[in-house]
Amino acid sequence: MISTAELAKAVTQALEYLRSAEQVAEAEVFASSNGNLLARLNYTSHIPCNGVEEPKSSESYGLGITVVFKTEAGITIGFGSEPSDLSLDGVKRALEKARRGAVVDPEFSSLPRATGERRRLRRYHDPKLMKIRDEDLVEVGWRVLQGGLKTFATSPQLAELAGGKGQINALGLIVGGDVTIQQERIAIASTAMPEVQTDESTLIMAFITAMVEAKASKGSGCSAGTRLDQFTDDAGVEAAHNALAAIGGERIKGGEYTVIFGRQPVADLLNNLILPSLSLSTFYSDSSPFMGRLGKRIASKHLTLYDHGNKRGLMGSKGITCEGLPTGKTRLIQRGRLVGLLTNYYEQQRIVRDPRGTEKLGVDPNQHGSAIVPRNGFRFWAGGGRQFGVQPAVASTNAVVQGGDQSLEELIATVKDGLLIGRIWYTYPINGLRAGDFTCTVVGDSYIIKDGRITTPLKPNTVRINDNIHTILSNIIAIGKEVRETLVWAADEVIYTPEIAVRGVKLDEIASFMEQL
Amino acid sequence: MSTQPMTVQIIDQIKPMIFDLATRYRKTLRGCRYADIRVQIDEGQSAAAENGGSKHSTRDYAFEVGIRALSGDGMVAPGYFGQSLGIADLDRLAQVVKDGLRHAHHRALANAERKCATREAFGSLGDALISTTLAPIEIHQDIVSARFEVDPRSVPLDEIVALTTEISKSALAFDPHVKYTFISAFTLLSRELLCSSEGANIDQCFALTQGTCFIVTNGKSGTQELYDYMGHQRGWEVLIQGVQEEFIQFPDFRTFCMNLTKDAVSLCNARPLKATDREMVVVTDPHYNTLKVHEIVGHPAELDRALKMETSYAGRSWLFRDLQEHQLGKPIASPLVSAFSDPSLPGYGHYKYDHEGTPGRRVTHIDQGIFSGFMNSRQTAAILGIPPNGSYKAADASLVPLIRMSNTVFGPGERDPQEIIREIPHGYYLVGHRTPSISESRENFRISAMKVYEIKQGQIGELFCNGGIMADTKDYLMKVDAVGSDFRLYPIPNCGKGQPMQTKRLGNGGPTMRSRARLTGA
Repeated sequence: MISTAELAKAVTQALEYLRSAEQVAEAEVFASSNGNLLARLNYTSHIPCNGVEEPKSSESYGLGITVVFKTEAGITIGFGSEPSDLSLDGVKRALEKARRGAVVDPEFSSLPRATGERRRLRRYHDPKLMKIRDEDLVEVGWRVLQGGLKTFATSPQLAELAGGKGQINALGLIVGGDVTIQQERIAIASTAMPEVQTDESTLIMAFITAMVEAKASKGSGCSAGTRLDQFTDDAGVEAAHNALAAIGGERIKGGEYTVIFGRQPVADLLNNLILPSLSLSTFYSDSSPFMGRLGKRIASKHLTLYDHGNKRGLMGSKGITCEGLPTGKTRLIQRGRLVGLLTNYYEQQRIVRDPRGTEKLGVDPNQHGSAIVPRNGFRFWAGGGRQFGVQPAVASTNAVVQGGDQSLEELIATVKDGLLIGRIWYTYPINGLRAGDFTCTVVGDSYIIKDGRITTPLKPNTVRINDNIHTILSNIIAIGKEVRETLVWAADEVIYTPEIAVRGVKLDEIASFMEQL
Repeated sequence: MSTQPMTVQIIDQIKPMIFDLATRYRKTLRGCRYADIRVQIDEGQSAAAENGGSKHSTRDYAFEVGIRALSGDGMVAPGYFGQSLGIADLDRLAQVVKDGLRHAHHRALANAERKCATREAFGSLGDALISTTLAPIEIHQDIVSARFEVDPRSVPLDEIVALTTEISKSALAFDPHVKYTFISAFTLLSRELLCSSEGANIDQCFALTQGTCFIVTNGKSGTQELYDYMGHQRGWEVLIQGVQEEFIQFPDFRTFCMNLTKDAVSLCNARPLKATDREMVVVTDPHYNTLKVHEIVGHPAELDRALKMETSYAGRSWLFRDLQEHQLGKPIASPLVSAFSDPSLPGYGHYKYDHEGTPGRRVTHIDQGIFSGFMNSRQTAAILGIPPNGSYKAADASLVPLIRMSNTVFGPGERDPQEIIREIPHGYYLVGHRTPSISESRENFRISAMKVYEIKQGQIGELFCNGGIMADTKDYLMKVDAVGSDFRLYPIPNCGKGQPMQTKRLGNGGPTMRSRARLTGA
């Protein structure tokens, strides 16, 4: 990893050079160094395997520059980057690329300017995670895997099902998933904000799936943090415990059910449907299901959702955005009302000049600036890291659903008859994002609720949810009180959420042929 | 400091050094039983426009290295290393690759030690932990050239900017119902080098050109968001002239985008399709079947999924419970249905060797209704004791390969597609794929279509929007009662798999087919 001091020095040097370069009216320099280290697990008791399948890493560093050129043809804007070179030669090559690719963008106003907000988060990374050795990467993978194996190995339930402790491997025990360590360092400065800012973040997370495949039971476990010292085998243990608890799952008939969505399903709905719909770029392209609804009710009054980018201890927190602006708390849905949107600087500037801006948002964006503050311009790319080679897009940091006042037990009692759905999969807006129609299947960690208590596990892969996000949001009847982090495959943001109870969720029974195989 | 520009020709310079590191230097690492090194250089250009305004353009390169080591004293385990590189790395490349190989080797050594210790500590649960082996392959040294008429590097960047901007503007002006247009295009040359400690030295070059169109319209039925891609492993001529090959056919990019715009306008004024509780007769066109075969045949026929390696991410396969219980040799589809993966076919899924040097070959998945085999890698083939079939591919060289489709397709039948429709008293015709949602082991699917037409007395009737079908995979395949002769291949540009997720381009296709399924709607 390149140090922040080296990145800052490179940015200073680059900006100085760009100031005197021909035709350069404005410039921004972003340098970063990223490490993505990952121990991918695959244990199968019934199939030969490696246990820790892939201890691996992917690393990169370099700089990217965005330049506004004043040319005879008018104002043009270009972006260029150069990997593995922070020297002046690298800057020159990046500038050449920016110059060659510069275009006249009629909607461009300026490079980011200070918003007036102050940076609140500094020195929050773990130096140990920045220096993790090859052996440590392998060790954290095996630690989590062994947590799952120990839980299986000591389960009297499994021994009884298998006819003896020595035969439990025949039950098809699976522990899969990964431990991921993210190392990120950036430096940024521009002609408008010339003071070099740096940011440094680390996180370690595990997302594990365990199965007793012969009994079609599946459980999930996850853990996340910003410190290596705090990392344990919890995710493996939790996943195996949940797989054991799900043994004996039953099918249900299709129909409308009152459903308690656990944290992972809430995270999946947020990641695939709700957060993209709350991005200002989606409003610009007429694609949000909430077009024209800013300031209006879009959900049950039970729901409050915000993005919190600068809270210490939350995994997705950053000190500054990849546009050099302070991160912060953006209220998105307040007691069911749409009150704010995620945006970067470009999109914010674009919507205030858009002739259809008021139609798209439902209010005049010039009069509602506090709802569209650019706190979410990030250069996330391909599995994590703040990439010098891409321009900022809109991304959530920590998406937080505010906790309600009911424990899970109380929620189950409130629902009385229904389902607790703990994991869904392949959740997509099936007819375009704006229509709100979505579908997904229930893949594990789920239970049938009768008379106010959990009675039986719901067999994985036997029901499909076919519904609409407007209906789901309107039909929320209660929110749990314990807010916890949840990870979503390939997502940039981290979701913090409790369970959410929704009435009238439409389910179809599927794949009955599997019972005859 | 290196002053030379980054071009794919650099592979010629570094090839001897990379081969030497993979073969001679690898031998100096104690306990390293096998290593391979992949290097990739891309030279590409791209541009994008929104609502008639240019948004960006670039001419740039990518340069990556990925290394695998299998190491251990006794028990063997894998370790990997990947890195993005730049021009500045050229003068120090040997050291960078050496360092990477050492990291991969150290990880593999530590991994082997822990695997051995865990095997001993966990009794019968430890028995499944075995030493990593690769199934043997014939070792090749080969050079494969790219095919193109117009070199992707020769196209003036301004031409790409002008094309995307002009199409975006024309599409927006086409009709008042059009509210948003996004048009992008890229053309690139990619050269991949693989050298292994077994002596493989494979240098493959590909051209690739793609256009993307996203249109949003608003009308009586609300909003329609339609997107589609056209592309081929060829040069810039793909977008300017279109493609007229036996299996791949596209008009020029401008016509392609305007056709999609017209569809989006028609659809935003069409009635939404109503979902049904019972099965209907459905005819699906080759474009729709492209996504269907991808999701319900291609993915479950990947052996890494079948062996549970994607349990936490992209899912397992209903075709394989374990080494004893599986669907191999059993009927899973109507005798009219055959499906296979074939990297020798043209298009996005074409290649000669995969990313561990195994020659790609045709893999039959369904032979007249009988499930026949999986795509595999050397490691997964060794577990099943079968020959590798060349399906191990990464999205770029810095990433660890996964088992991937090449051109995975439903095979052609003999029926005239028009006749397949004409003999239906009442049914629905699904044209063009849109969005999929598949169950975890691929045993059920819901896929929406761009357009759905009602069929009445053998005639195509009313157009509906927001429709699709939902079915259990085996039921659907078993009920196929007609397969057309109109076989087509299409590009799939964004198949996600692995952790971190790799987005891969590959090919899929098929002919017109008829079966039964429930309709899904708005």
